[in-house]
Parts: sequence; C-alpha cells; structure tokens
Amino acid sequence: MIEQQTDISIEVRNITKTFPGVKALSDVNLSVAKGTVHALCGENGAGKSTLMKILTGNYQPDGGRIFINGKETVIKSQKHARDLGIGIVYQERSLVKNLSVAENIFTGNEPRNQLGFIKYRELFAKATVLLKKLNININPQVKVATLSPGLQQMVEIAKALSQQPRVLILDEPTASITETETKILFEIILQLKKQGTAIIYISHRMTEIFKICDVVSILKDGCYQGTYQCEEITIDDVIKKMVGREMKQIDVTSFIQNETAIEVRNASGNGFSNISFSARKGEIIGITGLVGAGRTELVRAIFGADELASGEVYLNGAAVSINHPSQAIKNGIAYLPEERKEQGLFMDMGIADNIISGNLSAVAKHNLLNKKLIKTAANSYVRQLAIKTPSVSTKVANLSGGNQQKVVLARWLALNPTVFIVDEPTHGVDIGAKYEIYQLLQNLAKTGSTIILISSELPEVLALSDRILLMYKGTITGCIPRLLASEELIMEYASGLKKDSAQMQQVA
Amino acid sequence: MKKLLQEREAFLAIAIVLICIAASIAWPGVFPTFDNLSQVLLNLSIDAIVAVGMMLLLISGSFDLSVGSVVAFSGGITAYLLYYCGMYPLPAVLIGMSAAALVGFINGYLVAKAGINPMIQTLAMMGIIRGAALMISGSGIQNLPADFNVLGQSNFLGLQSPVWVMLLVVFSFDFLVSKNIFFRRYYYIGNNEKAAMLSGIKVQKLKITGFILASLLAGLAGILLASRLGASLGTSGKGMELRVITAAILGGASLSGGEGRIMGALLGTIFMAVISNIMIIARVSGYWQEMVLGLILILAVWIDIVLKDPRGLSLKARFTKLKTS
Repeated sequence: MIEQQTDISIEVRNITKTFPGVKALSDVNLSVAKGTVHALCGENGAGKSTLMKILTGNYQPDGGRIFINGKETVIKSQKHARDLGIGIVYQERSLVKNLSVAENIFTGNEPRNQLGFIKYRELFAKATVLLKKLNININPQVKVATLSPGLQQMVEIAKALSQQPRVLILDEPTASITETETKILFEIILQLKKQGTAIIYISHRMTEIFKICDVVSILKDGCYQGTYQCEEITIDDVIKKMVGREMKQIDVTSFIQNETAIEVRNASGNGFSNISFSARKGEIIGITGLVGAGRTELVRAIFGADELASGEVYLNGAAVSINHPSQAIKNGIAYLPEERKEQGLFMDMGIADNIISGNLSAVAKHNLLNKKLIKTAANSYVRQLAIKTPSVSTKVANLSGGNQQKVVLARWLALNPTVFIVDEPTHGVDIGAKYEIYQLLQNLAKTGSTIILISSELPEVLALSDRILLMYKGTITGCIPRLLASEELIMEYASGLKKDSAQMQQVA
Repeated sequence: MKKLLQEREAFLAIAIVLICIAASIAWPGVFPTFDNLSQVLLNLSIDAIVAVGMMLLLISGSFDLSVGSVVAFSGGITAYLLYYCGMYPLPAVLIGMSAAALVGFINGYLVAKAGINPMIQTLAMMGIIRGAALMISGSGIQNLPADFNVLGQSNFLGLQSPVWVMLLVVFSFDFLVSKNIFFRRYYYIGNNEKAAMLSGIKVQKLKITGFILASLLAGLAGILLASRLGASLGTSGKGMELRVITAAILGGASLSGGEGRIMGALLGTIFMAVISNIMIIARVSGYWQEMVLGLILILAVWIDIVLKDPRGLSLKARFTKLKTS
C-alpha cells in the first residue's frame, strides 16, 4: 500500500488531535513521497484541514510523530513550517488586495537594502521571473484587487512557490477558478512534480483528483481509511470510503408544469446586458458559464441586491418592480448567495437565529419574538434537512460547511419561495451533503417552485437542470435542453466558441 | 462557572455586588448609605441614557462619537429658547430633541447612504456640534425657569427624576431590543451586513434609525442635565462619548458588532460609577481613577477573548502563540 521509505518527503504517524468535545483526528497516518501528487479526500469535518494545520505548525498534535525526510521533527510554528520547506495555499484568500502582486508574492521576504527599505526594482524582477516560470501571465506591478478570483488564486500559488517548498499543500485550489485556469494550474503541478516536490492535493472534485493525482488517502470522521494508488481504485470506491455508504444516483425526473413562473425581458445591468429568459413552474433551469460571465450579477439584480439598469421582470405574468431584496422576498423570490460565509450566514449567531432571519414576523406575535415558535420552526428544519448539531442554539461558525449550507437553505425554505435562485449551492460542501441538497432542490421543484441553478460544476448542472442557459461575457449565448446537453457542448458555448442566434434561443 | 463568566451581564452584576459588599465593609459609615448610593445613581443616570443608544449602535456594528456634543447642543438649544425667547418648556424641549434627531439623521444618512466611515463621520460631527453648542450657550445659560427645572429636580420614592427616566429608558429599550422584531434586526446587521441585506433587511433604513435614536437619547440626556443643573453649559458632556463606549463594551458590546444587550450598557455604567465612587471615598487621585478604568476595560475585553476562544486555547497557550507568531 505504501511505497518504499527512501522517497518519503513527509510522513505523519498516529497523529491525534482533540478539541473540546470533538476528536478531530485519531491515529492518522499519511506519507507523501517526493515527486507525487497525493490527494487527501474526506467529507467536510473529516479532519483534512486540522491535519494540514498541524503540518503547517498552526496546531500542535496531542499525540503522534511527524517525519520530514525521514527525520523526526516537531513543527513549532508557521514560520518553522516554512523554514522546513512546507508551503500551503489555503482555500481562503490570504492576499492583501491593495498591494501589488509582487509585494504579495514576497510578503515578509522582500529584497531589502541595509536600511530595511524594499528594493522594488529587484522585487518586481524576481516576481516577473517566478511568474514566467509558472507560465502565469500577470503584470507583477498591478494591485491584486484588480485581478479576477482565478488569477488571485494563481498569485496565491506563486506566493507559496516563492519559498521553494519541498512539500506543497493545495487546499481546494480549483474552487474558485475557471477551467482554463485549472489547466494552467495542472501544468504547474506537473512541472513541480518533475522537480521532485511532494504535493498534497485537497479537493471535493473527484474527477480532478483522478486526473492529476497519483495516490489518494482517505479520512473519515478523523480516522484514517487507507492510501491507494489512483489506478487501482475507482471514484465510487473513494466516495464509499469517505461517506461510509454508497451514493445513490439522483433520478432525472422533470416536474415542469405549464404556467410560466418568472420571465425576464431585456435585462441589463452591471456585468450583463440584454438578457431574456423565462422559466416555468417546477422547472430547474441551470445558468452556467465561466467565472466572470455575469451570472451572479444577473441574479443579484433580479433579486434586487444590485441595480437593474433596464429591463423587466414578470412573475406569474405580472410585471414586478424590485429594488431591494425585501421586495423580492415579498414576491416569493429567494436567493442563496454564492459565498455563504460572507453573504449567507450570521456566523456568530445560533442556528435558530439564522433560520428565522428571512422572516422574523413568522415567529413573532404582536411584533414580539416568540421563543416557542422560534424553537419549533428551527427544530423542524434541523430535522427536515438533517442538520447535524447538538442544539438549535449552536453557533453556525461551529458547523461544517455542508451543515452551514443547509442552514442557509433552511432560511429560504422557510419562506416557501416560488422562485428559488441558488448560486453555487454545493460550493465547498462534502459529497454526502451535496446529494442531500440535490434531493432537496428536486423536491422543491416537485412542489411547483422554479429553481434557477447557477453552478460552475458541470456534472451538477447536467444532472439537475431541465434546461441550461449559457452565459458568456454578460450575454446569453445559448440554451441547451437536458437531452442534448454534454460537458463538451457547454464548454463550447461558455468559452464563446459557439453562439446561437437570438431566434434559436427563443425556441429553446 | 465558565458558562456564567461568558454571560457578561451576570458577570458584571456579580462583580458589582461583590465590590459593593467589600466597599460596605471597608467604609461602613460612608459607602452603603442611602445618600451616597442615590447620589451615585443620579450621577450615572445621564451616562446610562446615552449608553443605551450607544449600545444599540454598537450592536449594529457602528458607534457615535458625537453624543457628548449632542448632550450640550440639545440642552443649550432648549435653555436658549427658555431663557432668551421665553418659550414654554414643552415646545422648547421638543425643539431641543428635534435638533438632536436632526444630528442623528445627518450622521446616519452619511454613514448608511454615502458610506462614510462612522468613526470619521461622527468624529467630525463631534467637533461641529461642540462648536455649535459653545456658540449657543456661550459661557453658560443660567437661572432657567422653575417649571423647566422640575423635570430634572423632582423626587419620587426617594429617587430623583433623572433616575426614573433612565430606568424607563433602559427597561423599555432592553425589552424592545431583545424581543421586538424591528430592533432584533440590529443584531443581524451587526453580525453580517451583507447577509442581512440579502435576507431582506432594510439595512440603510435601520442604520439611519439607529443613529437617530442614539442622538435622541443623547438629546434627552442633555435636556435632563440642563434641567437638573438649572443651567446649560457649552462644555457639558465633554469626554462622555468615550466613557459611554467604555461602559457599553464593559457591558458586553463588541466594536465589530452583533453583540451586547441593553442591560449590559446599564451594568457597565453602574460598574464604572461604583468604582469611581469608591476611589473618591478612598481619596484616590483623579489621575489614578482614569488609569484604573482604562486598565479595567483592557482586562475585561481580554478575559472575554480568552473565554470565548473557539479553539479553547488556555492563557498560557495564547502567550506561547503570541511569542512564536
């Protein structure tokens, strides 16, 4: 199962870590060889991040040993980890947006003169060389804030690589980048692999793992489930070991009714222009495209979170004017935002407080909150969505990603939306919760709600949508019915290679 | 025990009781007398009214540095109308309150709609309104009419009227903020403004309302103060903003918003007033008093951070972490 000892770059043995009330890791083993890409799989809460935080010196393990190049080592701090040659690209951004790319890459490590001033010419030159080596086309003098999320991710990677790490940890590196950028990233990974860097690759995206990784290790509930060569294991087996049960395929039933629920005519705004589409009751309509195609901007404007410069929105045949989310909610439109921590959740508040936040009057009598009503409502959604928590007053910050997403979903379900816009509903959610969310959206469609699904994960869009709208640079370039849809076709539209005439779109 | 300590209000209440017991033992003839304690209450009532508004703003994630100036401003306008224009008390008070509300509206509008940082907006307003208050009151307007002074100088059940007004304000706001769905929304805004907006909460409108309420309460405090003294001073309420923010933070508020209860603002004010009173009784110099209150604030917030740390790091672990990072 494990390869010969000599090539091992980093190894952990019997690592245990306990937090108050939770055993985050128990007896975990992992050994990563030089020049391999080693995937680490597990649901949210399985202990992947904890393990990585131990390797980067953020946490001290309660028990177990760590070997670097065969030598037992105690990783004392983040700086110590860096000195030992362990680099990490976190899932969350760690860049300073108002500083230049070069300054970000060499943070704390800038070339300085004797007086401690930064030598900018040398800094930019060094950055240029590094970026060129990685085949990333960014001017090192521009501010990070001006870059797309994908390019920012590339800067993160360049930053980690500027330390020339012997072990590079990538935590969900493709979560916010486009397919093209993913390709560049994979080329970089292959290049590093050739140079003998050991790479730990954490991702929820199985297809990616099987494309780029050599070895896969699996964690479940803090326990080590084994290490396998990618050639000798299938995606289904990995999922089975992560989840502990087999995943059902979702049914592709369609619940489309006849009446049109929402129609958008000639909508234009910041980031999109002249958009027209309609969706019927019970229909799940997917909107996909590359990051920056204007999908999120479009639905935010429909929901009233941003301004709709021109165009009309019709609900059940009647024109509505929506200038604030409160009006959208009154009209039965709900919106699950893209970034749940930044836009969806009140992290320091309890589950119940989060669930009721969309409609406080529903749990109030004479405008006064009623504890009993709150508890009943919250408990019913916790049960219905199988949110794993000790109580409804638990802070949302203490839940795993999947459970957090369910809390946001619960808030919107509580409003009985007729049109439910979900923006990347399974972003950073583990596979078990993912399927539960799919099921939930389908059930909602069954009861006659219209679902507008925005997603960058093509398998998700393909599996759920009755119809798929393609956006490219702020316009709709095509519309594919489920039966004709394929990943290749979607990519052709999404990358602007293919475009339907306006008439064709109407027909679809 | 740890659970109890995490409830700031309970923690403060216990601390206040213990300190009072200790002071009663140390100065049995001076501290626990009715005269001393009712004086303490009277002195803190003006601060406590202002602290209620500050707590509301802190819950919503902002604060108002201009409240101290508004205290002098509204008291000054009311006194001016009474003394120089011979106005009846009721319209004079209403105009004084409206002037305070207008200041709050301008603060709220510029913070919520124009996006000016509350620190900068209210710092500027603090200066502007202080100037206006000094202009109005000059070297002080004295000898205010008796039918106005009755507001702040009457007695009921042995306690003076400002104390009753303060108790009314504190308890009604405490009830509203913890139960009423309108006020409850301030917690959502303070916790995550973007998410609040996307949940259909009218963030801008609520923020403006919050600033108006904070200013109105400061205005009320200013009028009460003028009535109690029978005079208005352009310098009254100077330094009050920081004292009130300190009390609210001691009472459980956080500068990042989403935390605290109105009752905490009262307890924080009482705590500070009792400490000051004891230091006066013990003849500690004024310089020391300021230093002690500063130290208490740092200590309280630090203890809070340690108690609430989700990682459950002990104090010792925290120190070693600080050293390494």
